[in-house]
Amino acid sequence: MSIASSFLLQSPPGEINDVLSDVRNIIADDAELEKGIAAALEEYNLTQFTTVEVPGHQHQVIVCEDGRTDEGSDGSLPRFFDPRSKTRFTFNHADLSVSDPQPAEASQDNESFRSALETQTLTYLHDHYHEGVASVFALSHTTFSIVLVANKYNPSNFWSGRWRSRYLIDLAKGQINGKVFINVHYYEQGNVQLQSTHTPSLSLAPPHPIPATSQTATKLLKLIEIQEGEYQTSLANVYHEMGEKTFKGLRRALPMTRSKMDWDKVLGYKLGAELSASNTGRFGAASS
Amino acid sequence: MAYQAEGADTIDSMLDLMRRLPPTRIEENVFALTQLVPDSADEFLGSVDQPLKTKMDKATGREYLTCDYNRDGDSYRSPWSNEYDPPLEDGTVPSTKLRKLEIQANDAFDSYREMYYEGGVSSVFLWDLDDGGFAGVVLLKKILKPQSASAPSGSWDSIHVFETAERGRHAHYKLTSTVMLQMVAGKSSVEGESKKVGEWTKTAEDNVDLSGSMTRQAEADAPISDQSSHIVNVGRMIEDMEIKMRNLLQEVYFGKTRDIVFDLRSVESLEKQRRQRDLQKELVGMMNRNKAS
Repeated sequence: MSIASSFLLQSPPGEINDVLSDVRNIIADDAELEKGIAAALEEYNLTQFTTVEVPGHQHQVIVCEDGRTDEGSDGSLPRFFDPRSKTRFTFNHADLSVSDPQPAEASQDNESFRSALETQTLTYLHDHYHEGVASVFALSHTTFSIVLVANKYNPSNFWSGRWRSRYLIDLAKGQINGKVFINVHYYEQGNVQLQSTHTPSLSLAPPHPIPATSQTATKLLKLIEIQEGEYQTSLANVYHEMGEKTFKGLRRALPMTRSKMDWDKVLGYKLGAELSASNTGRFGAASS
Repeated sequence: MAYQAEGADTIDSMLDLMRRLPPTRIEENVFALTQLVPDSADEFLGSVDQPLKTKMDKATGREYLTCDYNRDGDSYRSPWSNEYDPPLEDGTVPSTKLRKLEIQANDAFDSYREMYYEGGVSSVFLWDLDDGGFAGVVLLKKILKPQSASAPSGSWDSIHVFETAERGRHAHYKLTSTVMLQMVAGKSSVEGESKKVGEWTKTAEDNVDLSGSMTRQAEADAPISDQSSHIVNVGRMIEDMEIKMRNLLQEVYFGKTRDIVFDLRSVESLEKQRRQRDLQKELVGMMNRNKAS
């Protein structure tokens, strides 16, 4: 079962059901499988920033560690929190269903800052992501997390992609610590994947703690926007360098002679050399 | 728990899984699958492509490549000395006639390797078929070490499996080619960077991995005058296939996967683009109204 779980956790964006049906076919014991992979499905959903529609609202929330409540720890299904609509709900990791939504209080005095951060995050999301979902959580009085995911699945053209970002903001320490993951899968008569990891961090200028104001929220999102933009540009540079240096260095498009190999000549040449029996060494490239 | 291995379905699912799981973890996942379904292990190993390994021929001191096609038990046959390592007394070897052709093919593809790869290792293995024809595999591998600490590194593995059937003065060839291309960048580019207040820094965890494989097939008829004609014919076919596949890889790796990233996130402000689009629509609307009036 640990093998099956490992396969599931390696699923490319949007393909966990395909991986699951392959694993089901290979293992051929549904009951055992269901029990054995429950933990893996949960881990996959939480780490891959699975999104769900919040019942009764027009937006989605990210089901992740930051939104998990301490309810449901008694063996019943886990409950999560959507800070945007202040809704607690039960989430089923196996079928991704949401149930029992309940309004919850956001009584903490950091709600106004969290909400300001959320407004700025959604503006940023709308400005740079084609189809993204973002959630902003208050983790403590002075720590907040911005969680963001963008997915594109195009199985009819054999590709899928996912961008995940999470920024942990610590007002007391004046720190932002980010993690950005990009996964792309292209699988038409092949299997090509991009996997990138980026770990940006930033120390904000004093005074600390940073004031929990809407100006701070605006500034933080501006900083994140600049950083993600620079990262994307640097990724484009990596692509360029891989294409110009690595790819060309691995195999030439054509030999130095700029023409294809003369197979008749190579074979004849070899034969002649063999007959002369004087050359036991290797042949270099045909002269250029 | 009893795992049931049931013929074609299982193999299909195993191969579909390999098409989805990360190419960087092929070997680990192939091994796990053979543990999971030992009954289908041989058939599975025969139809899944794994990165080629390099081995040293002790008799000639030359490097050669290993794959399922030159494996017998736990030993691998060298194309240079025809010997198995670790030694096997009754290891499978090609017939005398085919071995002669195999030697010629290895020499020819060694020249091909030098011309296109300017380094790396090549190996050709041939085997007799029951119907009197023969089949073979041409392997090429090159590893590129990074030129500086921050420069990308990479590897290229070509696996060309072919089958020939002689029809009088012609032969029919079937070719299945897989190229595995792996490129990694960025791991050590950030070390020693000092942390400044108000400036973004990154850690040594940062990395970009662009890896995978593509497979294509081709068939052709070509004239033969003697045995070595096969090398000329297969050689040309493989050369054309590699040129085609190099273009394809370039398109998918540097075009397609990059476009998908930029499809997820836009460097430019989408809001600005939306406003421009709206403005344009408005302008077109105004012009149409003017025309109408």
